[in-house]
Amino acid sequence: MKIEEIFSSKGRIKILLVLLKSGELNISEISRRTGLNYATVNRHLKILEDAGLVVHRRFGRIRLYQIDKSDKRVQVLEKLISVWK
Amino acid sequence: MVNVNPLKRAFTVFKDESKLDINYVPPRLPHRDKELNFLKQLFKFAIERPGYMTQRVLITGKIGTGKTVLSQRFGIDICAEAEKRKINLKYVHVNCRECKGSLFLILSKVMGSLHPNFPKRGFSAEELLEMLLEALDSENVYLILTLDELESLIWKEGSDPIYNLTRVQESRLGKPQRLSLICILRDEFVLAKLDASTRSTLQRNIIRLKEYSKEQLFDILADRVELAFKKGAVPQETLDFIAELSAMEGGDARYAIELLWRAGKYADLHSSPQVLPEHVREAAVRIYPTVRKDALANLSLHEKLLLLAVARIFKNCDEASVSMGDLELEYAVVCEEFGEKPRGHTQIWKYVKSLSRLGVIKAFVSLAGTKGRTTMISLHKIPASELEKEILSILGVKIEN
Repeated sequence: MKIEEIFSSKGRIKILLVLLKSGELNISEISRRTGLNYATVNRHLKILEDAGLVVHRRFGRIRLYQIDKSDKRVQVLEKLISVWK
Repeated sequence: MVNVNPLKRAFTVFKDESKLDINYVPPRLPHRDKELNFLKQLFKFAIERPGYMTQRVLITGKIGTGKTVLSQRFGIDICAEAEKRKINLKYVHVNCRECKGSLFLILSKVMGSLHPNFPKRGFSAEELLEMLLEALDSENVYLILTLDELESLIWKEGSDPIYNLTRVQESRLGKPQRLSLICILRDEFVLAKLDASTRSTLQRNIIRLKEYSKEQLFDILADRVELAFKKGAVPQETLDFIAELSAMEGGDARYAIELLWRAGKYADLHSSPQVLPEHVREAAVRIYPTVRKDALANLSLHEKLLLLAVARIFKNCDEASVSMGDLELEYAVVCEEFGEKPRGHTQIWKYVKSLSRLGVIKAFVSLAGTKGRTTMISLHKIPASELEKEILSILGVKIEN
């Protein structure tokens, strides 16, 4: 997926920021913290996961999402955000 | 006029007060080495052949006999050993009373130690237990879970949670065994509430801790003095005196350490370079063995308010006991004072039962002289005014003399 497509959505950027700050969260919590609804968060997470920026682990019914820290792009993204602030 | 900041003291007998904190785990446990080694023996497999088996151990003993510190010391030591061998072993210590005796809250706390943002609602305790085992499997973690003050869980939920925790491996044939249990109890008589099969599983390995003798308490105090006080600040006669008082209180080491800390505070207050027996006497009248800071601090807000109501009611009356009805009226007044909505009768009755189990108050059913049955409450072991002061200070209210 092209970079402009990933970062063309405010929602996806919000989700990335929340995950970078909090580590590991389930969809409801991401939804609460970003102010987006469940379905939107779910859709964005799928896109981010397909792009290889986010990974999830499943425990029964619960899916916990986190940033894939092993991805070089994520490491650069983290730096960018820290400089931005 | 010179302003003196009480926080900026020129002199103090303390070197490091935190070493007298209730949550501090000392590197050495005098007179508990045998039990610590036995515990290590029981869990040897966790280091040598992790996943091969699990263990259940029961530690029993009265207040201040070192149950909690023993298991915590063991937890630190075994985790350090596991780390050296690159085994992913985790020790989690949960106080069942702080979790209101609920298996769900206990497991939620355990899960939170593995995944801090794990959702805290939306599933049953059984589901959460399965999720916990899934998490242990997927991250290849072996867990030693200590259930401190197990009484709370037994009183609230009976046999089922303990049965589930002890037998959870049986439905996982062929998979590595990951969950071991250490259960901590004050009195073994609570086990009678469990069904026979759960009881037999728990009672296989019991470590019974006896009350400390005066000499043993002296050694414990001497260790702590070395860690917490400046050299020469606590003379031997003071230690002897504290050990003797604590031995009379049923060999309670927690009481002894709190007494030592308070005596140190009085020494500071009087700008004395040494903690003297007189400071101990001063401290002793402030600590009531049955009602100590940690026990009160762990109560919920409404339990504290109810206890404050008990204190106020006995402060202003000469009766030996009061009825639930009178207590409820006083409790409503206290709630109004603190801007809280009073809890209902059933909840208050539950609080009375739990405070009674803690030994802070005594509750009994009265038949004589009243119509029907009514629960009567009495306060035996602490003066009402002292209890009021203690609760108010915990609630952060300034006390006016």
